[in-house]
Amino acid sequence: MKKIVIAVVVAGLLTLPLLAAAQDKYPSKPIEITVPFAAGGSTDVLARLVSKYAPKHFDKPLVIVNKPGGGGITGTEAVVRSKPDGYSLYLGQGSGHDLVTPHFQKMPYDPVNDLIPICRLSVHSIVVIIRADAPYKNLKELVEWGKKKDQVTASVSTKAGSVDIVFQAVGKATGMKIVTVPFRGGAESVTAIVGGQTDCGGNHPSEIISHIKAKRLIPIAVALENRDSAIPDVPTFKELGYNVVAVGSVKGVAAPKGTPPEVIRYLAERFKKVCEDGEFIKAMKDIGQPVMYLGPQESAKYLKEGFEQYGKLIKEFNIKLE
Amino acid sequence: MGEIFNIFQGLLNGFDIALSLTNITFALIGAVLGTMVGILPGLGPAATISLLLPLSFKIGSPVTSIIMMAGIFYGAMYGGSTTSVLVNIPGEAASVVTCIDGYQMALKGRAGPALGMAAIGSFVAGTIGILGLTFVAPPLAEFALKFGPPEYFSLTLLGLVMATLLGGDSIIKGLIMVVLGLLLGSVGLDPISGAIRFTWGLHMLQEGIDFVTLAMGMFGIGEIFYNLEKVLKTELVTRKISHLWPSLKDWADSKWAVVRGSLIGFMIGILPGGGAVISSLVSYAVEKRVAKNPDEFGKGAIQGVAGPESANNAAATASFIPLLTLGIPGNAAIAMIFAALLIQGVTPGPFLITEKPDVFWGVVASMYIGNVMLLILNLPMVGLWVQLLRVPYSILAPVIVLFCCVGVFSVRNSVFDIWVMGIFGVIGYIFRKVGLEPGPLILAFVLGPILERSIRQALLMSAGSPAIFFTRPISGALMAALILFLVFQVYLNRRKQRQRGKG
Repeated sequence: MKKIVIAVVVAGLLTLPLLAAAQDKYPSKPIEITVPFAAGGSTDVLARLVSKYAPKHFDKPLVIVNKPGGGGITGTEAVVRSKPDGYSLYLGQGSGHDLVTPHFQKMPYDPVNDLIPICRLSVHSIVVIIRADAPYKNLKELVEWGKKKDQVTASVSTKAGSVDIVFQAVGKATGMKIVTVPFRGGAESVTAIVGGQTDCGGNHPSEIISHIKAKRLIPIAVALENRDSAIPDVPTFKELGYNVVAVGSVKGVAAPKGTPPEVIRYLAERFKKVCEDGEFIKAMKDIGQPVMYLGPQESAKYLKEGFEQYGKLIKEFNIKLE
Repeated sequence: MGEIFNIFQGLLNGFDIALSLTNITFALIGAVLGTMVGILPGLGPAATISLLLPLSFKIGSPVTSIIMMAGIFYGAMYGGSTTSVLVNIPGEAASVVTCIDGYQMALKGRAGPALGMAAIGSFVAGTIGILGLTFVAPPLAEFALKFGPPEYFSLTLLGLVMATLLGGDSIIKGLIMVVLGLLLGSVGLDPISGAIRFTWGLHMLQEGIDFVTLAMGMFGIGEIFYNLEKVLKTELVTRKISHLWPSLKDWADSKWAVVRGSLIGFMIGILPGGGAVISSLVSYAVEKRVAKNPDEFGKGAIQGVAGPESANNAAATASFIPLLTLGIPGNAAIAMIFAALLIQGVTPGPFLITEKPDVFWGVVASMYIGNVMLLILNLPMVGLWVQLLRVPYSILAPVIVLFCCVGVFSVRNSVFDIWVMGIFGVIGYIFRKVGLEPGPLILAFVLGPILERSIRQALLMSAGSPAIFFTRPISGALMAALILFLVFQVYLNRRKQRQRGKG
């Protein structure tokens, strides 16, 4: 009898952690989402919108934390190094420091293998813009005008970033001599082109949507495979006869390596629901960001292709930091 | 005439909105929160607004949430001076320069007049800024857009040359500090080539050293180290507190500093690349230049508090102009408000005023109200703050260090920055020991990178020709002013020498 009691107690004790685990059904507390950029930027705004519409679809709230620094490396590393329990995620996977920077510098983590993609939320395409009062009104006219000039200046958010690389490709494809003028981030480069400091510029639609509406800036070509649904009237370079294609800046969600597959599945499913929410889609449209959901496997594939594509372009144009 | 009529009608409508119970409550909440984050070292308005962003969706109406956020932003400019004056720790980036003379005033028992004058100057400047926002916003914003890299270069160069006397008595010591400031300012990615400079492999340094972290370490923590050595027994920062309010002489000394500070702040605040920090530095340099008592600067000149504190408030208000009229955010805190508007479905830009007049005029009107609230809130606090100096240093110092650590951490959620602050604390301590003044270092640290970036951007635009600095009208005018200034200086020196020769 005594033995049985002991056996039952022992069995009970042994199953306790299991029970506890069962009670601890994921998610049992708020999920922290790190945005490795400053608050107020386009990735941050995306994250805030997601967290605004998340309560309808997630069992626990999503808490946004900004950890800017190192062009995104600092915050991403913090997620890579955190516990893979599904409570610390990274939003913004596929940004410059994931797809472009590793081709130039040694990273403190492995950007491909240390993170598991959960889903893709959006793609920030690169669109070439001109001022509405410029002597050229479209890409064809810009090229005609530009070819007669010694140089055509283009404002870009940062040296050797995705926009800079796209302009190298534009220069080669069109035969213009393009000189990129780097600014400190997208907002400053927009200000420069709005103020007419440069002949043209390159930005993500969300950065220029208000100026497009105000008819101060005209978007003339998108460097994507297909048109960007945030600005559906703007043709792609391919349509216009120039082979300039880039994946842009991808905005995905990722978890540290070692996060349980069922957690990844849960998250991917819930983010999908947010992406199908009509109100969320409408809000995203208002800020010039297309909703482009992809599941975990497809995301991983898309990111890998993007990474290789930038690597090829960097090699082709021999872009170096010095 | 119709234009003016429209403005008044809009403003009237705005007051109607801003004076609703909800909006007035949130304006007050913003003002109180702003004053608090201004006082707390490190924690700035941008970080606070980002923390409150999720809450702002729940407030519902975009006007109400923007009224609150705007209150936080300009309220922080009021509170920023408090710790600068009392304990030599800038509460906010735009109050760094206030440390120099504000703290010296406190040591002389004149913390009350310093804080009082800062509050009054802030109110005057804030009001001038809002008047500008009300009546001349759109044309001024268009003008500010004409400022490109060549203009920023010429303007900064002019500012630097005029401010060369910012250092103390020794030119050599001043130069050492300028060079150090330039070096520290060049840490991080090269703005044009993208090369990594002076980061010792630490990617946390790739975006450069944070200005607030550097200033808090060098001024505040350095001062505490210095005092630890001196004050071993429990002692007060200052025993004597002469009087609480600015005297008539203080008024007379400061009134033009307030006016100049307001105008400088307003003009620099409109520029997309300007902002409160630069305007406060420029105002300090100008005050030192025009003062009848330049020797007093660094030893507790009230103009050195009144000018910069006015300038940062005017700049904070003016930076709403490019946001509301063009949709261009000029600094981190304004960028947060920009994001908040976007998330609420309001796109700031040229048609905000026509499409959403309630948002535009409601926010503008709330600023008039918020400024009055802040004055009423801050003046009685002066007495309270001054009492803080009666707290024994053995209690005050650890509390200050604690708040500094929390504040620095809050900026980027980074422990690394606390270490950076500590290191600059040690450096600041050494500077104090050997009598090096941090003023020129701060100026070079802020302006050096602008100078470097803008000259290289401008030369890229012009394919390498320096003519771009002279052929563009605004840049050319600034360069002409610089040359005139230099010629005038040479003439003055000659005359001095000749007089000396005669005598």
